[in-house]
Amino acid sequence: MSKQSGAVNRKRGLSDNTKGMVKLTALRVIVYAILIFLSFLCLFFFYLMIINASRTHADLQKGFTLLPGGNFIQNLVNAWNDASINIPRGMLNSLIIALATAVLTTYFSALTAYGIHAYDFRGKKLVFTFILAVMMIPSQVSAVGFVQLMNKMGLHDSYIPLIVPGIAAPVVFFYMKQYMESVLPLDLVAAARVDGSGEFRTFNTIVLPLLKPAIAVQMIFSFVSSWNNYFIPALLLDKPEKKTVPIMIAQLRSADYSKFDMGKVFMFILLAILPVMIVYIILSKSIIKGITAGSVKG
Amino acid sequence: MATVQLINIKKVYPYVSGEKKSNKKKGAEPEKKINLQITDEGVVAVQEFNLDIADKEFIVLVGPSGCGKSTTLRMIAGLEEISGGELYIDGKLVNAVAPKDRDIAMVFQNYALYPHMTVYNNMAFSLKLKRLPKDEIDRKVREAAEILDITQYLDRKPKALSGGQRQRVAIGRAIVRAPKVMLMDEPLSNLDAKLRNEMRAEIIKLRERIDTTFIYVTHDQTEAMTLGDRIVVMKDGYIQQIGTPQEVFNHPANLFVAGFIGMPVMNFFDAKLLREGEHYFVELGGHKVHLSEDKCARLAEKDVPSQDVTLGVRPEHTELSKDGVAAKVDVSEMMGSSVHLHLTAEGRDIIIIVPTVDMENIPRMGDELRFSFAGKVAHVFSKEDGRNLEY
Repeated sequence: MSKQSGAVNRKRGLSDNTKGMVKLTALRVIVYAILIFLSFLCLFFFYLMIINASRTHADLQKGFTLLPGGNFIQNLVNAWNDASINIPRGMLNSLIIALATAVLTTYFSALTAYGIHAYDFRGKKLVFTFILAVMMIPSQVSAVGFVQLMNKMGLHDSYIPLIVPGIAAPVVFFYMKQYMESVLPLDLVAAARVDGSGEFRTFNTIVLPLLKPAIAVQMIFSFVSSWNNYFIPALLLDKPEKKTVPIMIAQLRSADYSKFDMGKVFMFILLAILPVMIVYIILSKSIIKGITAGSVKG
Repeated sequence: MATVQLINIKKVYPYVSGEKKSNKKKGAEPEKKINLQITDEGVVAVQEFNLDIADKEFIVLVGPSGCGKSTTLRMIAGLEEISGGELYIDGKLVNAVAPKDRDIAMVFQNYALYPHMTVYNNMAFSLKLKRLPKDEIDRKVREAAEILDITQYLDRKPKALSGGQRQRVAIGRAIVRAPKVMLMDEPLSNLDAKLRNEMRAEIIKLRERIDTTFIYVTHDQTEAMTLGDRIVVMKDGYIQQIGTPQEVFNHPANLFVAGFIGMPVMNFFDAKLLREGEHYFVELGGHKVHLSEDKCARLAEKDVPSQDVTLGVRPEHTELSKDGVAAKVDVSEMMGSSVHLHLTAEGRDIIIIVPTVDMENIPRMGDELRFSFAGKVAHVFSKEDGRNLEY
């Protein structure tokens, strides 16, 4: 009897297993379909931009196509030689501002976060809440006052107002603070103090290396947002040799009818995202580490 | 190598905003939260801490969680501000001296190794900060690595080491500096039982080799008993007793120390202390035991009258007898060389340890038996405040 029932059980087990496999496969198919769709959403517009950068203005007027045109080089030459903009100069300007902002923002935000995380002082909670409250204020609200102040300080057409205020970045600070809570035991700081390390040295040689993934993530975010920043630079930068890439793109787009060339605009956009892609590729390993940090016990 | 003096040391954690108000509302009387004292000033973690530590002495601070032992160690290290009292290291007042200038080294419970540095750089870090010549740093690191048998791991990062190896590196990082005082904050707590025993032996050996003053914090009384020249037993921020392991074990100052030191814990009974001239007896369940001469002398000297007391007898100081205190067996645990009998006697749950040698039948659950104890191992504690009436 037991043999028979054992065989029946095994059979039933097998059919259950087959059902399970089918269910699992179906689930996987659905998951992959969703992932493919999301990837398509992300990548399609890059593809479209590259295609459009290779088409002539007349082609572009005709409408949408998935096939590349033959005007890629010509568009590149046209954009590069456009008299109204200086692409290398614009990219250099953007690079200077974005790099300086990214480095200073992440360093000082990490330093502030470290101050809140590692030290106990009166009003610590208040300071923390205040910094987070600043996060809620959109930059547009204070933009007019800020631009007026900068003009009065003689900082019109200067990069200082585009770099220095970025140091106070509540979002980056908050991210760093949360990250420190998961990776920085305070005993490590205590050990460094006992070992004879000063407070700044402890931060620079012990704390910062532990924050590498978070720094990489925040550097790329700061870099990209600074690189793409149009609003404040447009208000502050007037001299052609000071202008950044987003201002130049806007300038190309607003050219009068006779000079307007969409192929040139797409080419410039393509050129403009190249540095961002390079920075992303360099830091991508650290970014993935940073995004998943703290999710599992290391 | 240095003496350490702690004079009336106190640590109060002041309230952060908001906390104080809610506590004040409850009234001016100090209250207790978990086991720390809450006052108007804040939470008192350590108070009235007085201790003289001799040169090259091994002192162990022991007590349950939250008793203030780690806080005391961190105050000695300079990692916590001292709220009151004076701390001297090598005769120098160091209350306001930064940790790096106290010439101390510390080993942390969670190792606190710098994860991005190799073992070598972890150990060399403090020496580099002192700007010692490279060859001297190298010599010192290799010497320390040799002592701790970690030379083969010098190029590895901490994550590539096991818990025991990491703890060796942490100790190496401390000894490489040849500090005046070596502070250890529960260094073996993160290790498994086997490794803990091994490392305990290592620390005893290490102590012989590096010849410095040790202050060691643990909640494990076995570590305290085996490592310390003297033990400081703490509870609720107060010192309960300071003494050699032998003293603390044989002459506990109060019920807390008696219950904390020793495994299994001491048995306590409600008993009567009877005085007959210069002689003292304890009466428990109709069984009368004459206290030893020295105990009688100490009690007589303090003129202790007859009274109800809490009687303490260690499990290993009891024996089965025909005319002792009646008890019933609840559980019998065979440990090999001895049997741990969990009994109910005089309304209390107790444990007695009986050697298996000469034992024909091991008592089973439900058996009734009698046990007794000698007068020299009976401890009498005040019913009012729990202090040992002999001291």
